Amino acid sequence: MMRVMVPLTHHRTDPIGLRPLYESPGGRRVHIGGGVEEMETGEENTRKEETVKLISAEGFEFVIDKKAAMVSQTIRNMLTSPGGFAETQHGQVTFPEISTPILEKICQYFYWSLEYSSGKETEFHIEPEMTLELMMAANYLHT
Amino acid sequence: MDGDPELVGGLVGRCIDAATASVESVERWRRQRRTLDRLPSYLADALLRRIIQRRILLYPSWLEIFQNSAEEIDLKGESSVDVEWLAYLGAFRHLRCLNLANCRAVNNSAIWYLSGMNNLKELDLSRCSKITDAGIKHVLAIQNLEKLHVSETGLTSNGVALLSSLQNLNLLDLGGIPITDEALCSLQVLTNLEYLDLWGSKISNRGVAVLEMFPKLSFLNIAWTEVTKLPYLPSITCLNMSNCTICSIFYGKGSTSAPLLKLFGLGATFVDADEVFSIIDTSHVTYLDVSSSSICNLDFLVKMDMIKHLDVSFCGITDDSVEYIAKAGKGLKFLNASNSKLTSRGICVLAGNVINLETLYLSSTSVDDVAISYIALMPSLRIVDLSQTKIKGFTYESRDNLEKTFSLSLLQNLSHLESLNLEDTLVEDEALLPLVFLKQLRCLYLKSDLLSDVSLHILSPLSSLTNLGFRNAVLSNSGLLLFVPPKALHTLDLRGCWLLTENVFSSFCKLHPRIELRHELAGMVAIDENVSAGSTSLHRTYLTSEVRSEGSDGCFVDERIKYSMEELLGEDEQSYFSPMKESKYSSTEELLEVQPSPGTTLPLYDLSKLPKGAEEERHSRDLAQRHRVRPLSRLMNGVAHQVSDSICMDGADLAAGLPILLPRRPQAQ
Repeated sequence: MMRVMVPLTHHRTDPIGLRPLYESPGGRRVHIGGGVEEMETGEENTRKEETVKLISAEGFEFVIDKKAAMVSQTIRNMLTSPGGFAETQHGQVTFPEISTPILEKICQYFYWSLEYSSGKETEFHIEPEMTLELMMAANYLHT
Repeated sequence: MDGDPELVGGLVGRCIDAATASVESVERWRRQRRTLDRLPSYLADALLRRIIQRRILLYPSWLEIFQNSAEEIDLKGESSVDVEWLAYLGAFRHLRCLNLANCRAVNNSAIWYLSGMNNLKELDLSRCSKITDAGIKHVLAIQNLEKLHVSETGLTSNGVALLSSLQNLNLLDLGGIPITDEALCSLQVLTNLEYLDLWGSKISNRGVAVLEMFPKLSFLNIAWTEVTKLPYLPSITCLNMSNCTICSIFYGKGSTSAPLLKLFGLGATFVDADEVFSIIDTSHVTYLDVSSSSICNLDFLVKMDMIKHLDVSFCGITDDSVEYIAKAGKGLKFLNASNSKLTSRGICVLAGNVINLETLYLSSTSVDDVAISYIALMPSLRIVDLSQTKIKGFTYESRDNLEKTFSLSLLQNLSHLESLNLEDTLVEDEALLPLVFLKQLRCLYLKSDLLSDVSLHILSPLSSLTNLGFRNAVLSNSGLLLFVPPKALHTLDLRGCWLLTENVFSSFCKLHPRIELRHELAGMVAIDENVSAGSTSLHRTYLTSEVRSEGSDGCFVDERIKYSMEELLGEDEQSYFSPMKESKYSSTEELLEVQPSPGTTLPLYDLSKLPKGAEEERHSRDLAQRHRVRPLSRLMNGVAHQVSDSICMDGADLAAGLPILLPRRPQAQ
């Protein structure tokens, strides 16, 4: 499985400068934030606690900090509920309803939201074309 | 959005913000799809609500994309809503609730489109005055309708009688319609009615007997009617008989199904208050409003153990009645006793008893500083109004000892105090000092010519203060500029501070852009502030606003101002902009003060180069006005109009004052 590593820069507006990757969905993975470094399989298990894998409708994987993902009330419930959801155990959530560009924007929002709540006042720009799709996704995620 | 706390702040709220930022943004997402089928209805509603609020719904056809998702639409007060809008709204299959209140353009033919809306449960047509008996027939087709507001429409008794076919109605608002006893009688088949509003109708004592036929009726409004005697209605919990002459309420007892909770008797004339209240079971009343009524003693309060909200303003009650209010004790949360004959002695009686009081209005009473010490014993107070009282802000220790004790310092005990009104009291600068300790104070209203710069500066440390009224004070320009506003302040009301001049407002606004200033002269500044820095555009805005305000005085309005600058410059190929040199005049005032030099006139433009149609009109006007109104006015959009009517300007000076606007004419002319 091929991995794509994206170094962490919080202020970046577009953490994924890798649009061509969308062309080959399935099994691709993008790390957003979280101070990404080359990870071996063994290391991955130890890091599972801090990162979450979000999978879009096209099978594109986003690996983000758990702290960021917790901005979404829905993901928080999935990851913390005691019932033993599959999501809780694997730290991995699939969203068959959310397309890749929208999930990307959602992930950006998670990080932006963390920064914003820590007092950094920047604007979160949303392109008018994606407002409706994003609104529905955000509504589903209770964000 | 405002009513939806969930949607504010989060990503959903931001999406709605972004989607409705401008007409262009709506266009961009609207073009992608025909309908918003997948959008949950409450999001569709919120989106549509915001589009309407921001007035960016350019064409009613835009409504179409919402037709399968929207469930609630509020178009209250939108004067543009007309037949075309309703033609689209008629296709909204899931619409449950439609508010067209105050939509002046909605008429009988417009509501024809509503007739097929079978899911509609709530319809508000209040104040759509063009709707008459003929139009209401269309509404009758909506058999599921549960709530209908038709107050202040053009309906008559005949139209109202037709409503009896809407069997599912539980709310019917017929306010302001002159319906008769007979019409009310025909409505008695509506046995599901819970809410009936009949204010201002021609119902009489005979007609109200029908009300016994509504077994579920819990809310009844018969304000401004001839009714003097109301029979016993067992299910009523809220009764409004404001501005009626009340002989008796609920005569002839029967079995009770629900206790009376709220009673409104604003401006009512009680023939015999004691007798009226002796019949009603008032033991459960929580809300009583008898302001401006003929009641002057409050003996009846004895039985009202549950009362929470009491309004006895403008009733002329005296200190003797206060003991009855005090009996209400811990339950009382709201007391309005303004414009009464209360004095500090009365407040003393209240002090130990109404310990949970949150709101206290005592404006226009005779209370003085002594009362503050008693008010300070009501620890839950959030809102206190002491305007137009004899409060000075200090008391003397004793008759012999003339040392001042600042009475307002006692308010520190009120840890929940949010709003304090001290308008038109005798409080002076130094007496305000103790207010600094009211850290949780959010609104403070002061209005007195005893206050000066010092008072304003004292208030700087009030960190929670958002609204500050500082009216009629002797506030100087420098005093305002040196004022460091509290962090949270967003509204500063300086009306009546006559020492302030216009220029200070713009300086203040620049220093504190998030504060909204109110002042008689500040309106002008607000306009200027909206315009970007360019000096010429600033002048233009300033002056057009002047022109608008003077237009009504019947002075000459130059038709030619309708040509834009671009248009006119475009006509003249030979013209060119004068070099961008620094303006000789720094402000419009100076520009207008240019001394006339009667002999000189400005060079006129070549008339033949103006648009054809305009020429004739121009010509005739010019014959009369040529010597006074320069064609320059076309360029200045009204500036010259102002100028020409008052003074004659020196051409050279004007040219120098408006370097950008004024094209040079070739010497040939």
